[in-house]
Amino acid sequence: MDTVIQTVDLHKNFGRVKALDGLDLEVHKGEIHGFLGPNGAGKTTTLRILLGLARPSSGSASVLGLHPWADAVELHRRVASIPGDVSLWPNLSGGEAIDLLSRLRDGAVDQATYRERKRHLCELFDFDPGKKGRAYSKGNRQKVALISALVMDAELYLLDEPTSGLDPLMEAVFTREIRRIVHENGATVLLSSHILSEVEQLADRVSIIRAGRIVDGGTLDALRHLTRTEISFAQDSVDTHALDTLSQVHDLTVADGRVKFGADSDRVHEVLPLLGSLGVKGLLVAPPSLEELFLRHYGDTVAPPAPQVADDGGTHHRRHRAGAGA
Amino acid sequence: MGALWILYRQRLRRDRWQVIVWVLSIGALALFAVAAIAKTFGDDATRAQVLQLATAAPAILVLRGLPRGPALDSFTFFEIFSFLGVLAGLMNTFMAVRHTRAEEESGRAELISATAAGRWAPLGATVLHGIVANALVAVATALGFMAGGLDPAGSLVAGFATGAVGFAFLGVGLLASEFFSTSRGANGISSALVMLAYLLRGFGDATGQVSPDGTTMTAAWPSWISPIGWGQQTFAYTGNRWWPLLLPLALWAVCTAVVVALMARRDVGASVLAGRSGRADARPWLRGSFSLALRLQQGAIMGWCIGGLATGLLTGSLGSAIQSSITSNPQITAVLRGMIEAQGTSMTQLLVAALFEVAGILAAACGLQAVLRLRQEEVAGTAEPVVSESVGRIRWLGSFLGLGTVSVVLVMAFTALGAWVSLVASGDTSNAVGDVWQTAVDQLPAALIYLALPAAVFVVWPRATIPAGWALLGVGVVLGIYGGMLGLDQTLRDLSPFTHSPVTTSTGTDWSGGFWMLGIAAVITAFSLVAVRRREVGTA
Repeated sequence: MDTVIQTVDLHKNFGRVKALDGLDLEVHKGEIHGFLGPNGAGKTTTLRILLGLARPSSGSASVLGLHPWADAVELHRRVASIPGDVSLWPNLSGGEAIDLLSRLRDGAVDQATYRERKRHLCELFDFDPGKKGRAYSKGNRQKVALISALVMDAELYLLDEPTSGLDPLMEAVFTREIRRIVHENGATVLLSSHILSEVEQLADRVSIIRAGRIVDGGTLDALRHLTRTEISFAQDSVDTHALDTLSQVHDLTVADGRVKFGADSDRVHEVLPLLGSLGVKGLLVAPPSLEELFLRHYGDTVAPPAPQVADDGGTHHRRHRAGAGA
Repeated sequence: MGALWILYRQRLRRDRWQVIVWVLSIGALALFAVAAIAKTFGDDATRAQVLQLATAAPAILVLRGLPRGPALDSFTFFEIFSFLGVLAGLMNTFMAVRHTRAEEESGRAELISATAAGRWAPLGATVLHGIVANALVAVATALGFMAGGLDPAGSLVAGFATGAVGFAFLGVGLLASEFFSTSRGANGISSALVMLAYLLRGFGDATGQVSPDGTTMTAAWPSWISPIGWGQQTFAYTGNRWWPLLLPLALWAVCTAVVVALMARRDVGASVLAGRSGRADARPWLRGSFSLALRLQQGAIMGWCIGGLATGLLTGSLGSAIQSSITSNPQITAVLRGMIEAQGTSMTQLLVAALFEVAGILAAACGLQAVLRLRQEEVAGTAEPVVSESVGRIRWLGSFLGLGTVSVVLVMAFTALGAWVSLVASGDTSNAVGDVWQTAVDQLPAALIYLALPAAVFVVWPRATIPAGWALLGVGVVLGIYGGMLGLDQTLRDLSPFTHSPVTTSTGTDWSGGFWMLGIAAVITAFSLVAVRRREVGTA
């Protein structure tokens, strides 16, 4: 499998602040790669380094086989990007800004096709390109960046929280368009986000970043195996004693007239026969979500970084999972 | 090459009106100057007299230039070139910052740099934009002088001298943009450098060597460290020297080389002087719209106060330098004594009056910025949370106007302080030393007009606030401060608040104009405060 993005032991310091602290990221060709992390974890810094807008303090990064800082111009011809915060020129219209950015990316824009696609995307995103930059709301500024990124084909899309400010309708349009470019053109997408549902819907693989390093990663399926499925049912007068003894069942509680417990996701089927024999009512099985995964890594916000941070030799330990990276 | 051209066209598209207005204003000012001077100072004898007067009382030279003979063309160059140089300089520093630091600060540079334009095309396009704009300035200035009937060869030299001075400041603006993380900081420091160039050449011109007939001077060394001074050294019309223009070009090249070296290493959006991190907790006094205004403007106010202080300090040092150069020439001393005693004004008073006029402009600009901040706050959307708190719109506007008043007073206080300290230090014992405080107060009414008027524009026509604010100040300066030297019609000059600033002489001060202006400012302010209640707060 071709590697499109590879960073090795990437560090970036701003004064004494370590924005990136030995980041190893690998993105394969043709995948939608979710890049998850809370505010300030280093997502934007990573994307800026991958675009050659910032220089790493140490470590190496390669994008499409190119050096992002040295080969920035060549790289940018093949990459489309959306910055985390879109700002427009106050006296240029949105349509003008889209045209300008597209021409800059590829001087030889095929006029007829380009105009048709631009018109089509403006329609899809319900965007009025005739207003001046200062008059757009946040969501509409975001659409300028989205349309500029999608209006021309690219090999790689670097998207920094691309749907921030969009309404759910537009989010759906965005999701569809991203799927389309991946399926039709075999493009690769690195999608930074903290909106878990969006990543869950789109991503084939995810990397989770915390305090400047990747703390978890792999295919969504593989990650799901590590999380628990939440199962609950009406208490009625079911004797839950039998459940308690099962090794697959964790944290069984009874509250508000409902019995709740977590089950290892890959062993849910082993629990179901017992539930059937108990004759439970109002059964709810909630599939494992990224949210749970996320909370496991960040829920204890005050906890010190994982112990591996201590060994600063750059041999950062990545917790590989069965099936991860397959 | 493609990206360079596209980005250049984008700059033209964004700046088309600004460039046209700057170029036409500069060209028109050149034409206007010739016409007015030819009318007011009709023949060589009159002009020679004026020059002799100026070389005898060199304080006047600070605001003008280097005398190079009484002919109409060289006299015009003497009167107007340094001012054209300031305008060209400001046009270029603003232009450089607008397309570099301001773009990075807003994050738009990120959009551009993530395309195939890369890091260098935006810089290249900005330089190209500057070259074209300065060539237009050069041509417009030359055409303005030629249309006024001046010698074409000399007019070309004068025109390209203006353009070259501008180009040097393009480099200064680009360099300032590398150092500061905000466009506000970069604009502030580079406009201050333009003013410094103006004052340095004023200092050099005023302390230069006077020829025996008193109509020609050779500048002292400070003029040689100022780009505007270099432009003057072309001796347009009398010497038509092109080589001094290599100096501004070299300054541009050095600045740009440093910019390239810095940009090759830094991240997009980063700056040499990193923005300091702020406080975790607000100071206890930050608890209302006035203190917010103060917190927002404190850096700018400090900058303008330093400018005022520097102008004040110049008064004393220049005064003693001029005194010594005059007393060494008994003939001139005799002429000067006769002239000055007749008006009951001392040399120092003349100097204080001239330099405090400049300080008055600084104070007005500082106050104006407080009002413009209102509009910037509104556009940035930061006004909304303030006005939607318990702060009413009247109090919001009133706070910024109040702060503007405070800052105007502060700038003049620092000017007076600087003048007083430097005069006392230079051993001046005349009444003029005590008069500096009065002279500082004299400048306040005009500056207050520049609070009231832009505030009214802000209330009535928000979108025009910023351009109208600076345009009103620019027109006021041209008509009021330069109107006399340009020989403009009195009715035109009366339009400027600066024309009506009280003047303190040893016989006293006539404050009738001052009181009128205070009254007008009060009426306009009252109107704005009432009308702001009917105005929406929005970003469009």
